Amino acid sequence: MSTESHQAIEEAASDWLARRSSGSWSSEDQRAFDAWFNQSMRHRVSYWRLESAWESTQRLKALGAGIQSDRPPPPGQWNLSPFFTQCADEEEQAAPHSSASANRMVRAFAASLVLAAAVGMAAWFLWPDPNRYETLIGATASLPMADGSKITLNTASEIKVAMSGQERRIELEQGEAFFEVAKDPSRPFVVVAGDKRVIAVGTKFSVRRDLGSADGIEVVVTEGIVRVEPVNGKGIHKLAAQPLTAGTIARANRGGVMIQKKDISEAEEQLAWRSGVLIFRDSTLADAAAEFNRYNPRKMVIEDELTAGLRIMGSFRATNVDAFVRLLQQGYPVETSIDEKRIVIRAR
Amino acid sequence: MSDDLESWFKSQVLVHEAVLMRFLARAWPHRDDLTELRQEAYTRICEAAQHTRPNNAKAFLYAIARHIMSDRRRRERIVSIQAAGDTDLSNDLIEERTPERVVGGHQELARLAQAFDRLPARCREVIWMRRALELPYKEIAVRLKIGEKAVEKQIARGNRLLAVHLAEPVVGRGEPTPRHTEDVIEDGIGEEPR
Repeated sequence: MSTESHQAIEEAASDWLARRSSGSWSSEDQRAFDAWFNQSMRHRVSYWRLESAWESTQRLKALGAGIQSDRPPPPGQWNLSPFFTQCADEEEQAAPHSSASANRMVRAFAASLVLAAAVGMAAWFLWPDPNRYETLIGATASLPMADGSKITLNTASEIKVAMSGQERRIELEQGEAFFEVAKDPSRPFVVVAGDKRVIAVGTKFSVRRDLGSADGIEVVVTEGIVRVEPVNGKGIHKLAAQPLTAGTIARANRGGVMIQKKDISEAEEQLAWRSGVLIFRDSTLADAAAEFNRYNPRKMVIEDELTAGLRIMGSFRATNVDAFVRLLQQGYPVETSIDEKRIVIRAR
Repeated sequence: MSDDLESWFKSQVLVHEAVLMRFLARAWPHRDDLTELRQEAYTRICEAAQHTRPNNAKAFLYAIARHIMSDRRRRERIVSIQAAGDTDLSNDLIEERTPERVVGGHQELARLAQAFDRLPARCREVIWMRRALELPYKEIAVRLKIGEKAVEKQIARGNRLLAVHLAEPVVGRGEPTPRHTEDVIEDGIGEEPR
């Protein structure tokens, strides 16, 4: 592979193009350009690609017809046919909308939370307490609520629901859940997770507790804004001060707060469990195994450091740990021993 | 042959950039590598096309992109298994610029306006003056009270950005491609296109 970086090539190509269209282009320039251009195919394709974009800007002239000023009109304000206004409308809808299936649920349910048919991917339990819901290891469940919101429970999770006139309150007792909150400014939607609460009005986010420490939580926001604050008004002030916007992944525990700002699509990947899938982008095997272990009663155990540090990428069915282990053996110098309770992985 | 290669590349390969980038983004974990992978794919397809022009440029481009990625995975020792949805490109739902569409008037004009509108303000002014008003760099420099070198820099930068914007699908058309809906393929490493 070439030692010249792709950015350097692209910049050189764009510099040449800019020089060429300056209007002052000498035969010396031409010779220098030819030398660069003929040096490699890499140079040529980069140049052609930019040239093609440049050629299409020729048509800015057509867009400029009838404009008096020597400056372009402000973005989106092209004074042209209705076609263009339609275009501008479309742009506003460009923000990624996730699941279309999150449509308002029928409001005719009497109880605060109704057990409609689950999405089909999972079995889940209703406890004697009608406001308490739980999933088994490896299962997920979808719970439509009377206010139009929807809750998706991940593996081995448990929530308690309390709806009142002032507040929609969910207690996340363990595990992880994703919330698609129907807008209702008069009744905030509050998720209590241990000593912290996450507050929203109309938005989509997940809250997770099973991070290995009693007080750790993780919040992933895929739409709108949520706020995280301590239940008793003490500690984690930093979090409370900073509303979390779409694309944010925040982790908080006693030690502090870590906030990562990602593309919404990346944040969504973190929530692929909703369709039963785990996505890893360059995770260590140790982290991947910990993820799988949330969904499977038979736990993966890694014996040595070297194996624990292997890098994993790809998409996997959360409950198909056998396929994952098989692929691991094919791609890596590892061996496994499997019994009822554990899958032990070590260097071969 | 070289001129010929240029017009083939521009009309048959570049038009698939949007789809190619989506494909790479789904199949490769590091976003920072995507433009490099794109450049590599274009280079390899043109090197191959110097000798024999492939019948189906799009399918060939995918095959090449897939090879580049599996080479790298092997080199970097990443275990990779892609969901079926990631490698099956036949039913891609992405809005594409087919060669026919490139000549289609209004749609292309709309695409240009959108791509142009996303440029930073200064870039936008400079490119506007050069392309819509056809002013020389010197005159643009005077009107905007900047140096001629700065004009050239803005042109170069705007050009790079426009190339990216133009390849992005027109917004508001259909839903994003569904991801990861299928079961895991047994082994996606080095797989040939079907």
